Amino acid sequence: MSSSAFAADTPFGHDDHGHDDHGHVALQYQPGLPLSRGKLIMWLFLSTEIMFFAALLGSYVVLRFGALQWPKPHHVHLSEPIGAFNTFVLICSSVTVVLALEAARANRAGLAKLWMVVTLLLGMLFLGVKGYEYAAKFDHGIYPAKPLGRIYEKPDLYYASAVRERLKDPLVLEKIAELEAASEADLTAEQVAGRKSLADIRRLVMDPDQQAFDIAVVADQVMPLPAEGPGGGHDAGHAHGLNDTFDWLRLPAVIPGGNMWASTYFLLTGFHAVHVVVGLIVFAVLLGYQLGPAAAGMIENAGLYWHFVDLVWIFLFPLLYLF
Amino acid sequence: MTTPEPSHGPLTRPGELTDDAAHPPHASHGGLGVYLAVFVALCLLTTMSFLTYSPYWPWRDEPQVGWAFMMAVSCTKALLVVLFFMHVLWEANWKYVLTIPAAMMAIFLTIMLVPDIGFRSRMVSQERLLYMARPSDEALLKRAATAAEATAGEAGH
Repeated sequence: MSSSAFAADTPFGHDDHGHDDHGHVALQYQPGLPLSRGKLIMWLFLSTEIMFFAALLGSYVVLRFGALQWPKPHHVHLSEPIGAFNTFVLICSSVTVVLALEAARANRAGLAKLWMVVTLLLGMLFLGVKGYEYAAKFDHGIYPAKPLGRIYEKPDLYYASAVRERLKDPLVLEKIAELEAASEADLTAEQVAGRKSLADIRRLVMDPDQQAFDIAVVADQVMPLPAEGPGGGHDAGHAHGLNDTFDWLRLPAVIPGGNMWASTYFLLTGFHAVHVVVGLIVFAVLLGYQLGPAAAGMIENAGLYWHFVDLVWIFLFPLLYLF
Repeated sequence: MTTPEPSHGPLTRPGELTDDAAHPPHASHGGLGVYLAVFVALCLLTTMSFLTYSPYWPWRDEPQVGWAFMMAVSCTKALLVVLFFMHVLWEANWKYVLTIPAAMMAIFLTIMLVPDIGFRSRMVSQERLLYMARPSDEALLKRAATAAEATAGEAGH
């Protein structure tokens, strides 16, 4: 039974009569793909990942260039040196994975483990820096959605009313009363100037005859859009506003196009960070193995995934930080 | 590459990892020197894309030049990672079967988004346009900032 089942699979069909092999079928081996099953599956997975991130990156690019107004990197408090540093960290971690693989193939399990630990640490460093960046966004009221987010698209009546609402908050009123009661000697020069400008914007938002320009002045005092262009440094483009002077104030701020930016930024970097976390879990699991030649296949597959994560960041960095 | 000896059993025995057995040792390619060279190239390329933000970048007034430059740099970096770190350079032809269709689908998908998403601001109602951020909003904020600076300057003198 089994012989006829095999015969049907041969290129010559099932009828073997007339041959000299007396019912024995000359099996012909058809070599499969010249790669192991694990690696094949990993590459198939990676090809779906290519399309997954292509959809995200593609939507980002199309959304960004289809928008009437898109914030400059400095408007949303992105720091290019930090992004470049994270790129460097990921590139280093890619190299260490490759070195771990080479060490494992050369039967140097200890060295392979060392490189794997370095990779794990670099991945954690990347996530740490990312967390620091997220915290900086949250500090400026940039969240992906409204209940927490305090970003308004334009200095209009809705923005003015949101500022009014915040200024009516009892806790804020208490703080403002404290600030106004304080003597100038107790305050820094910045706080003195801030106190004056806070009084100005309170007058402006309450003014029934306010013009569009007045609301823009309020928005500029709360959180100015930093000057774009050269400078390079982190603080070069960072203008100081009332929200920076008084951390309890937390007034709504205006970043034209900022909400769509926040949605895409957190979606892209969030999914990338999830991939980094998965990679780190895989590396942590691998550390439990003897990383000799027998484990080279596993290291190679984990490495393929990790290089792909690096690849995505290679495109994310310029698209988010430099465009 | 040695030809595998004729065998009727599975390529791996229980307890043996598939990858190791299915793969003739191919540690011959790559090597520390190649990886370090690729690493240095990647670092240099990262610095290059970062250059567009430095004061030395000459095409500050034409952002498109910078974008094209950065995309070229990114594609080069991606190619280096894929070819050397992911060993695609040394793989057999199956690599094209997996990567080219996926890449084409990716590009196609992005293009398909353009009519609905890319051109969305050309088709919105006048009312929605009223609430969308526009370049005029940024200009208004800039004027406010300039005015504030002027008053601060007067107060300082």
